[in-house]
Amino acid sequence: MIEPVRGGDPSASMSSSPAPDAARMIAVGGGKGGVGKTFVTVNLATAIAREGYDVVVVDGDLEGANTHTCLGVPPPPLSLADFVANREEELSKLVVPTGIPNLSLVAATHANLAAAQPGHFQRVRLLSRLRQLPVDLVLIDLGAGTAPAVMDYFLVGDDGLLVFCPEPTSIENAYAFLRAAFYRRMRLGMVTHSVRGLVTQAMDQRNEKGIRTPADLLREIEALDPAEGGRFTETLKCFRPRLIVNDVRTADEIKLGFSVRSVCKSYFGLDADYLGYVNHDQGVRQSVVSRRPLVDINPNCDAAVYLRRIARKLIQTLGQPGGAPEEAS
Amino acid sequence: MTSFDHQTHYEILEIRPDASAEDVERAYRMALSTYGSDSMAVYSLLGEEEVSSARERVELAYEVLSDSTARQRYDAQIGADGWEGHEAFEQRIELDDLPGDVEELMIPGEPETDPGPAPARTAQQLLTLDGVEPSEDESEGGVFDGARLRRARLLRGVEVDQIAELTKVNPTYLHFIEEERFDDLPATVYVRGFVTAYARALGLDAHDVPLSYVERLQQHRAERAGRSRR
Repeated sequence: MIEPVRGGDPSASMSSSPAPDAARMIAVGGGKGGVGKTFVTVNLATAIAREGYDVVVVDGDLEGANTHTCLGVPPPPLSLADFVANREEELSKLVVPTGIPNLSLVAATHANLAAAQPGHFQRVRLLSRLRQLPVDLVLIDLGAGTAPAVMDYFLVGDDGLLVFCPEPTSIENAYAFLRAAFYRRMRLGMVTHSVRGLVTQAMDQRNEKGIRTPADLLREIEALDPAEGGRFTETLKCFRPRLIVNDVRTADEIKLGFSVRSVCKSYFGLDADYLGYVNHDQGVRQSVVSRRPLVDINPNCDAAVYLRRIARKLIQTLGQPGGAPEEAS
Repeated sequence: MTSFDHQTHYEILEIRPDASAEDVERAYRMALSTYGSDSMAVYSLLGEEEVSSARERVELAYEVLSDSTARQRYDAQIGADGWEGHEAFEQRIELDDLPGDVEELMIPGEPETDPGPAPARTAQQLLTLDGVEPSEDESEGGVFDGARLRRARLLRGVEVDQIAELTKVNPTYLHFIEEERFDDLPATVYVRGFVTAYARALGLDAHDVPLSYVERLQQHRAERAGRSRR
């Protein structure tokens, strides 16, 4: 497990100020497959690159790599799989151009299916190397599910985007994802062995202590160790997932983003940020079929306009193109 | 994080203690849709009991805050001639000041213009969602195409069927108008009437909007006629 912030400064990861020359890292997750994580990632990356920022998209899904396909890039000779398998030490050699100015890619093609996911040590190495890439922004397109390998990228990034569709299955998996991220993040923020144990117990929904909600957990922690309780609250404040609702068709579905944000606050105590939505658009399928980002092939369609809106909000968290990234406020 | 039981009525409805009666109303409607029995936003996370107790809590908050006498009494009781000095509220103000303006969220507008950060408050966001404030889309004049009409509608949280009910215009035509399926629409004079009714229903300019839309329609039809003559 990656442990950048046990105790001490809870802001050290999620909303950290990276080293002045470090790239900003944003992970895009959502729990469920097929909700448009890759589509959203690729289009945000393209839109941000078109604004003059150097961007690298990383396909974090070794078991279902297709970020390269969405960008129309043929499977490159070297990929993340080679880094994970220790066949290639130099991460910068995996970075390939995409044909779109300022946008490059680290693909995840031809993975060894017998041992696709990197272990803990490899993840640490990978994440620190990604930060050192000489770019403004690293966007990591996560796989589905809530496996530790997926969650670590989400937690160690400067920002986590959560993509979901207005469908019960997607919402269910998004909450599962958020729940996993929440408890792992909280456990990282705790110092004492006993309180960390308590968080681990709470991760089991049928735990013996009857801890059912984050509020229950906080109560237990405060009873056990008030200082840790304070740390818990502080850690919470620094964890700010950003929500994107994809494929919306009605006004009610747009409102769903606000509702999920409200539930994040009332249930998890999290201040999630509703970053925006992307509406249902015929052009989306066309973009996937033609293997080119929607914001490029059909820049004036509704979905592309909304994607650029979201991209501009993310740009506000970056510094000047080519310069040192600034701390987002 | 405080459990629902310990939150103030304002926190429950996610509004500031200086929220207007209108804000209270909107926030209440929003909370009802969040904690409604068929709400997707609570699906899989909260049990039936939790949802219904949340809803009761929302009802109670609304009952107090929507009654000005009860609200004054409540404010005095929680030590708020407002909220100064109240820790929970202070935190909320801080959050409210973060960038992330919903007007920007709801309407794409022109991609070239940089909206820049703007303060956002939950109540304001709801207000914008309900479309009370004129949006940048509308204030600028310019061309009203089908997509822009739809954005204006979505911004107000209105479904096509609701407009159809209000205007007595067939919803299929309303969809065609939004999708600019000019060839499937009836004679221009009807379309002008439909768009005028549509604009009025959304509180848009009932003169400029149909004018702009019909101009596009006529242009399309003239081009088509030109093609078929050749």
